[in-house]
Amino acid sequence: MTEDYIIEMRNVTKRFPGIVANDDVTIKVRKGEIYALLGENGAGKSTLMSMLFGMYEPDEGEIWVRGKKEEIKSPSYATRLNIGMVHQHFKLVSNYTIAENIILGVEPKKKAFGLFPYVDIKTANEKIRSLSEKYGLEVDPEKVISDVNVSTRQRVEILKMLYREAEILIFDEPTAVLTPQEIDSLLQIIKNLRDGGKTIILITHKLEEIKQVADRCAILRRGKLIDVRDVEGMDTREMANLMVGRQVQMKVEKKPAVFGKEILNIKDLRVKNDDDFEVVKGVSFNIHAGEIFAIAGVSGNGQTDIADAIAGLLPVSSGKIIVDGTDVTDMSVRKRTEAGISYIPEDRHSVGLVLDFDLKDNLALRRYYKEPFAKKGVLDPKSFEDYGTKLIDKYDVRCARGNTTIVRSMSGGNQQKAIIGREIEQDAPLTIFVQPTRGLDIGAIENIHRQIVEERDKGKAVLLISLELDEIMALADTIGVIYNGQLGKIAPAAEFTTSEVGEYMMGVKHHD
Amino acid sequence: MTDQNKTRIRVAILSVLLSLLAGAVVILILGKNPLTAYFNLLQGCGLLPKGKYGGGKSMITDLSSYIDFLTPMVFAALSYAVAMRAGLFNIGISGQMLTAGFIASITIGYSTLAAPIAKPLVLIIGIIAGMLVGSLIGFLKERFNINEVVSSIMINYIVRYVISFFIQTKYVDPVSRQSKNICDSARLTLHQIKLGGYKYDIPLGFVLAIIAVIAVKFMFDRTVLGYELHAVGSNKVAAKYAGIRTGRSLIVSMAISGALAGIAGVTYYLGYFASIQPKVLVSTGYDAIAVGLLGNNDPVGILVASFLIEIIQNGSAYMSSQSGLESEIASVITGLILLFSACNAFFLEKLAQKKAEESRKKGAKA
Repeated sequence: MTEDYIIEMRNVTKRFPGIVANDDVTIKVRKGEIYALLGENGAGKSTLMSMLFGMYEPDEGEIWVRGKKEEIKSPSYATRLNIGMVHQHFKLVSNYTIAENIILGVEPKKKAFGLFPYVDIKTANEKIRSLSEKYGLEVDPEKVISDVNVSTRQRVEILKMLYREAEILIFDEPTAVLTPQEIDSLLQIIKNLRDGGKTIILITHKLEEIKQVADRCAILRRGKLIDVRDVEGMDTREMANLMVGRQVQMKVEKKPAVFGKEILNIKDLRVKNDDDFEVVKGVSFNIHAGEIFAIAGVSGNGQTDIADAIAGLLPVSSGKIIVDGTDVTDMSVRKRTEAGISYIPEDRHSVGLVLDFDLKDNLALRRYYKEPFAKKGVLDPKSFEDYGTKLIDKYDVRCARGNTTIVRSMSGGNQQKAIIGREIEQDAPLTIFVQPTRGLDIGAIENIHRQIVEERDKGKAVLLISLELDEIMALADTIGVIYNGQLGKIAPAAEFTTSEVGEYMMGVKHHD
Repeated sequence: MTDQNKTRIRVAILSVLLSLLAGAVVILILGKNPLTAYFNLLQGCGLLPKGKYGGGKSMITDLSSYIDFLTPMVFAALSYAVAMRAGLFNIGISGQMLTAGFIASITIGYSTLAAPIAKPLVLIIGIIAGMLVGSLIGFLKERFNINEVVSSIMINYIVRYVISFFIQTKYVDPVSRQSKNICDSARLTLHQIKLGGYKYDIPLGFVLAIIAVIAVKFMFDRTVLGYELHAVGSNKVAAKYAGIRTGRSLIVSMAISGALAGIAGVTYYLGYFASIQPKVLVSTGYDAIAVGLLGNNDPVGILVASFLIEIIQNGSAYMSSQSGLESEIASVITGLILLFSACNAFFLEKLAQKKAEESRKKGAKA
């Protein structure tokens, strides 16, 4: 062995029914570096790391840790090898304190009067405080998880690994849920960890982050390792091209907007959530034909509730919603749809699709009850098939069995294509996009951005709600920044800089 | 037929075979010959000839009474399937059957109406009674978010004791300790009809059962209502997003489910039997769950599954008299079928894995 590799995955292959997730992949990670895994969705990054963390076993190939061949059969074995992983979805007990979450499973024990064992939370708190100081991971160990925000929860996950003395830290898309400012601080933490001697593996499809922190970067495409590069001296465009396998358009082509008549008018909208808590607190704005109005904001500030209220999924407690001249405030979902609302919801699995229906039934979800799909309550299967075939072709939905593909088995990108196709075909004056590109890869994002601009150019009013600031800056004609259920500032996109929007999002700056 | 359906049918057959095999082990332990026992089951249902027949009886007599016995089950299982389609678990089918049977008995069963009027009226009253109980469960779910399993079990208790109170105080037959027999003109089974020297029970309801199977199948696959119920059952939030009034769908599915349970009730209490035993809920409503599961909630699958399960239930008396086995062994086998069909997700998964393995091997060779 010429170099000191802490992790070697040699010729690893992993197959799932119908797909090769990793095909003969070899990666070698040096001790003390930040090693990025870059690839589109479904490229096999997460699968590869799941094998390193013991959640799957490779079908072929070997894993070597610290120069020794290992069979990692379970996450607990991986932990014993000092490997830790922060998952995309946090695994925390929400009514436990931060310290309790961190020590769960490895509780320090003491015996009272030398007899009765109890959990020594004091020592734990001390240890957590010293760890968090060492790496700049600011948390209060005595706070309960449900009371802290997403970025704190993520820090708790990191501390959990450090508490278990992890030396090799795997981050699975860690910035997906964070604001720009939070991302900066996370990247700083990751650098601190490396400087403290840890080895970091970072799974991501965000090129900027790799550019900022990573030392080396492995690019995966469709399960195969394309290349391993030093990040220095490589620009993001080159990374993108390697990742997608073709030339990528980095900027959205956009003509200047031509505003038409007013399509959506929201007046002093107030919405309560299921817990009777007011999440939208008096929001007013309007959108014209040919305008992309974007709401920027940190997740959980009421933006998706605005969309749900407009679409009729959440009741309005006061205020007015006027669509294309019709007051829809008290209308049923069906009537609103017919009044002219298309809606691409945030959660495609639980809202946008019936996963156990096949593709054609999902594509007809908005119009199954109308002619020619149904006559006098009786369905016409031929219409479903024809319409499905038409949309699959027009929107390039890739699916194994065409019309009869069960939607659950499709990839996220193709599910989203189906929803967007279905909603655009509604040809409604107002289209609402909520997080339209969440979890999608660069090729799909490019495509969806193009569709959103096309809708605008066709003279539709577009409401775009996104947590991705880059997306908003690239697409919006007008931006409203939401913070704590209120729109802080509404202004033409040209009048905002990215960092300014970020400040409004954090509530640092207020509208005067 | 899609591959998926083929796999499902294969899994259903597999679970039946497995349960018969497991049942055979039980019978062997009891020291009897399982093959003879299973043979006796078929003989008891008139599907195989018996050694000898009593006066006025033939294989057709057995077959006709088997179909008479089967009819309520087809309706009950359809009732289960319709509720299940909208994601509701109607465990109150027996209670709905009893309610329909009792109300039809006291209104029409004891009247002097002529058969052409009485029989349709029995049916209509059964449908309405069942539908009302079903809708009540759906309404409680929609308005107060009361779990349908809880409310239907509670309603089962209520109707069981309220009805047995009325039977014992007003309609009891002092000899049989059951409700008095209804008159023949109201009965949905033509009882002990003599044809060519043999006696038969002709279940008029069976024709209706076949029609109901076709109607429910059509409703599921080809109507807006069926599409909506399925959407609500698969994903309530997405259904709401699609503009479906989900609350209304829940009530409608329970109303239809209740109506079918109502027909099951009248074909049972005013067809197969002519009276009601107080304080007892028939097991049909519960066996219907096994039938629904085995038939994969598909109306045609259900028809086949009810044929099968009712062979075991109906043939058990003859089996018991011939081989000396307890007739309860039938319930053991039915229970095993329920168990194995409930495991079908596991079998499906295993089959899918095996398929993937095979195609990989093929791919590797090529």
